[in-house]
Amino acid sequence: MPQRIVNVASRVGLHARPAAVFVKAASAAALPVTIAKEGKEPVSARSILAVLGLDVRGGEEVVLEADGDGAENVLEDLARLLTEDLEG
Amino acid sequence: MRAPVAGRAISLDRVPDAVFAQAMVGPGAAIDPVRAPGVVLSPVSGILVKLKPHAFVVTATDGRGVLVHLGIDTVNLDGGGFVLLAEEGGPVLAGAPVVRWNPAAIEAAGLSPVCPVIALDADPASAAAIAASVALGPVSADDRLFTWA
Repeated sequence: MPQRIVNVASRVGLHARPAAVFVKAASAAALPVTIAKEGKEPVSARSILAVLGLDVRGGEEVVLEADGDGAENVLEDLARLLTEDLEG
Repeated sequence: MRAPVAGRAISLDRVPDAVFAQAMVGPGAAIDPVRAPGVVLSPVSGILVKLKPHAFVVTATDGRGVLVHLGIDTVNLDGGGFVLLAEEGGPVLAGAPVVRWNPAAIEAAGLSPVCPVIALDADPASAAAIAASVALGPVSADDRLFTWA
């Protein structure tokens, strides 16, 4: 399955605000996307509860996965978002 | 959902943070808290799935999650001024103490102590009903804040 490994840029990690921005983008994507911490169970990137539950810190790596037509583009866009500081 | 702190219940669009104000985290309400040291209560019975000094998430027995965020930008305090009174991962009852804090100290540090209380992953139909159900105005801790049917 196509995947991207991304280093999360937001200093505070994927907490309330950065998580909300990410989940909104994932919910708008054409395909379901999962997000996981390295070696952990993936969760839906469309669930704010699930993403907050991952407790991703700034500078940690996450794995994004999607399958289907256009998966590469969807992953590319979401990966790019995570490399920005979403606190701003 | 019960009020985690005493103060004045306000609609989310009055929260001084665009992401909360636009309900991007989810629908709900916020409380402009009484400026005195106090204890933050769980808005619902369930499991305290995440506990940070400045924020916590409780999932009710049906799996629905609620976020309580103690002030705006308070993640930058790195836990200073907050005392945890419960354990992450453990059960918690509605009205049980979760964190001790001092909204006056947060305000003195130049931050807003306003507390958003957010229904996580609510569908759009419930979001409108939640927003309409908010008990705006003065609230005591543990009073009904909004209803998530």
